[in-house]
Amino acid sequence: MATRIQFENSCDVGVFSKLTNAYCLVAIGGSESFYSAFEAELADVIPVVKTSIGGTRIIGRLCAGNKNGLLLPHTTTDQELQHLRNSLPDQVVVQRIDERLSALGNCIACNDHVALTHTDLDKETEEVIADVLGVEIFRQTIAGNILVGSNCTFSNRGGLVHPYTSIQELDELSTLLQVPLVAGTVNRGSEVIAAGMIVNDWTAFCGADTTATELSVIESVFKLREAQPSAIVDEMRKSLIDTYV
Amino acid sequence: MNHRRPSKRRRHSRLQRPQPFLGFSPFARSLFLTSSCSSSNRHSRDRSLSHLPSESNPKHAVCKHPTPTKRPSSVSDDDEDNEVNEKESGAEQEMEIIQADFGFFDPKPGDFGGVKLLLQNYLDNKPWDLSGFVDLILEQTTVGTVVKSDGGDDQGDEENDDEDDVYAVISALNLGRYAEHECIHELKKFLLEACGDENVKKKLRTLLEKQANEVGLLVSQRFVNCPHQLVPPLYDALFDEVSWATEDEPTQELRDSFRFKCYLLVTRIYMRKKVDQQKTVTSPDCNEAVVYIKAEDEIFQELSSFSFTFRLHNEQLVPYELRNYNLIGLVMVVKAEAVPKFRERLKSLLAES
Repeated sequence: MATRIQFENSCDVGVFSKLTNAYCLVAIGGSESFYSAFEAELADVIPVVKTSIGGTRIIGRLCAGNKNGLLLPHTTTDQELQHLRNSLPDQVVVQRIDERLSALGNCIACNDHVALTHTDLDKETEEVIADVLGVEIFRQTIAGNILVGSNCTFSNRGGLVHPYTSIQELDELSTLLQVPLVAGTVNRGSEVIAAGMIVNDWTAFCGADTTATELSVIESVFKLREAQPSAIVDEMRKSLIDTYV
Repeated sequence: MNHRRPSKRRRHSRLQRPQPFLGFSPFARSLFLTSSCSSSNRHSRDRSLSHLPSESNPKHAVCKHPTPTKRPSSVSDDDEDNEVNEKESGAEQEMEIIQADFGFFDPKPGDFGGVKLLLQNYLDNKPWDLSGFVDLILEQTTVGTVVKSDGGDDQGDEENDDEDDVYAVISALNLGRYAEHECIHELKKFLLEACGDENVKKKLRTLLEKQANEVGLLVSQRFVNCPHQLVPPLYDALFDEVSWATEDEPTQELRDSFRFKCYLLVTRIYMRKKVDQQKTVTSPDCNEAVVYIKAEDEIFQELSSFSFTFRLHNEQLVPYELRNYNLIGLVMVVKAEAVPKFRERLKSLLAES
């Protein structure tokens, strides 16, 4: 299910939050309604952690992570690092890396298996990413833009990329990532997909300006709609008892 | 016939390490202002060309192309003024001037993102229907202007228009005509709550409630370092459009809705903090009591019937030169009769630079 939310007056929810299958990070300072929207959807399932990175609120764009680990820029303070290590589950490896391109969220887009990275990332950083996040790495550009982390977002089930991505590029990326991809927008035509929305395998949060059309595209490509009759027949069949013998 | 010369000329294609462009920050603006005081050989030539914008409905306003064309004498190899080349050493304050063409366009739905970004802090950090407010501005195509970079005519492709950055927006919204919209409702509530003085609040309340049909909310916002040459044409465009709308609008009701008796402005200024007991040495540009971010606000305040200030709550990044100042909100009410005087004074204020 996709939910529309807002951080103060900004619809760029992907800037102020980070969502994975194992945890959710939220920036400090937004109104309580921002935080409670996450709690309502996620509290029973994964921890929702309030934090800052380097004293800033733009945590979504500074860090990159998946269910295996979380990478933080060198600007993260020791207290923040300790706070995150304490609050996140033990299986999540929290690592601070020394990379010149410190906005890791803008440079790295990943799910639990594959990552797309900025072409100028250091070799050592690439090794750390592969190690901590447990992913296979591809250096890519998207629609001619090197900030892959900003221009696309994908989960283990689907992905949304910059609207100007060509068909060939879509096919190529889809083969690399092994998930269906669609080129689209969020927040009423904004091309910076990852700034406008966050997603994991079962839920997504989009900016309040997202139109109904954009929302339906998001729900369909990330397979968030559970109430599909076909789902009952195909996937849930085994768990349904048809007859008692 | 279009006399404008192409805005992009690349004679040198050699790669250069990108110099840090400090353009879009309050810091850069204060740097620019301090250096403009010190540099002597600068003259600006305003070339006004009659030019049809690439929109389907051409604007009445004339496109101004602000092109300060100072040629830096010491730089011989890079005499191409396309790149901003600020020397890292900092000792040489010589900045190359780039040619920038700005186009004045009617608001259109594609400008939503850019205009929303400019008006992000319009009502401090109060959560309100900002999207609805931006929609109102964009729907009112007859009165209102959006300033974007003007490369459209040469390329001729219309799809790229949506991608242009919006540098400035100006509009006048009749508070009575849009009174049912939630954003206007929230705006009125915000202003009444922000007003501290009881007498002023009474006057404001009458204006917002009983006389709303005659009040125009003058929304004017631009990036901090927009060239000042844009400002007089921007206001001329607005006030001309308002007077044309009183004649050209299709229905009598709409025509009357633009006969504003007064304008309401919500803006921001820097006001000096309480001075310490011990006199600290302050730099020359920090002696005034009030620093106006937008130059025309000073004229508006002098011509205003009444005004009040209010405290801002959200985080502020104050440039170092203005560390002794607080950013506060300012609301002004200016009578419509004062507008011609304002236009004159605006031209003379910004004419010498």
